[in-house]
Amino acid sequence: MNNYLNDGFNMVTGLSMGNFEQEMPRDNTLSLKLAKQAGDNMNFNKCGYNGNSNPNNLYDIYNGFIRGNMFPDLYNQYKIAKPFDVRPMNEQAELLTKVDAYCFAAHDVALYLDTHPNDQEMIRLYDSLNGEVKKVTKEYENKFGPLLKNGATGYPWTWNNSPWPWEK
Amino acid sequence: MWKYEKRLQYPVNIRKKNLKLAKCILTQYGGPAGELAAAWQYLDQRYNMPDDRGKALLTDIGTEEFAHVEIISAMLYQLMDGATIEELKEAGLDGQYAQFGRDLFPSDSFGNPFNMTYIKVSGDYIADIESDMGAEQRARATYEHLMDLTDDPDVLGPLSFLREREIIHYQRFKELRDYYLKMKK
Repeated sequence: MNNYLNDGFNMVTGLSMGNFEQEMPRDNTLSLKLAKQAGDNMNFNKCGYNGNSNPNNLYDIYNGFIRGNMFPDLYNQYKIAKPFDVRPMNEQAELLTKVDAYCFAAHDVALYLDTHPNDQEMIRLYDSLNGEVKKVTKEYENKFGPLLKNGATGYPWTWNNSPWPWEK
Repeated sequence: MWKYEKRLQYPVNIRKKNLKLAKCILTQYGGPAGELAAAWQYLDQRYNMPDDRGKALLTDIGTEEFAHVEIISAMLYQLMDGATIEELKEAGLDGQYAQFGRDLFPSDSFGNPFNMTYIKVSGDYIADIESDMGAEQRARATYEHLMDLTDDPDVLGPLSFLREREIIHYQRFKELRDYYLKMKK
């Protein structure tokens, strides 16, 4: 059905729609399997890929993020043959990419909900994504310092630590 | 109110300096189809939306556009980082350097400063949303032109991400417009 998914991720959209109602699973067996099928250069695990969150056949967290679009039926590519992988260069960048990816998914679903406020299934997905956002943000902040100012606690003052977002 | 989050919406890691490309990308900062114009346009229009859907959507997309201003700014910073005076001259950025040094300044690719008349507001919510749909399409086209001008994957990644956001925003504005037209009947 989704012929734009011709780059090895087809299996993702075949998952049943109710699955996301379960707790987001902690183990990443499925993502490991998919990563293997898609080739070693796919950073599925690194970005907290979760194959079970696909109501209405959305992209998974990582593939939605690298495309800038969670909705396969709206995806349309220009020039490049397939979306570029994000390649974090260290542990901090890797964890930040995870935050980026979950925040992006939640945001893209939120824009959908602005024009479809009665879609209960998508509201449940938003709630679960939002839970993940909070979790990964906390995980990042505990290790590498605040993303939001209210994440800064204790001595020494950590808000003004590098790197800033625009720095390489 | 707004809160600052210390991360980009999409990461920017450009390894290769490219001043000519920076000059072209400048238009998505302060040009007519740029992110700054989009951000202000949507946030200015939201006060006159007829219901909560429109107020929410314009607030959310307007806010996202400011995150895009930051992505474009980071790209400009990294593309120009460490440029010598000679390199700036060669790329035709000597005028930019004379006026602003190495600071960012919102202008288009020709150096024309950002102009508030880029912002389309009309007091008519249908006309406003349709101008937003047009703004998204023009920005998408500009991103495609910019993608034509480079083969650097470090640059194509964020450009492609930003282009895709225009498609999503266009779709959501269109849904809002169609919903309001239906309500009017």
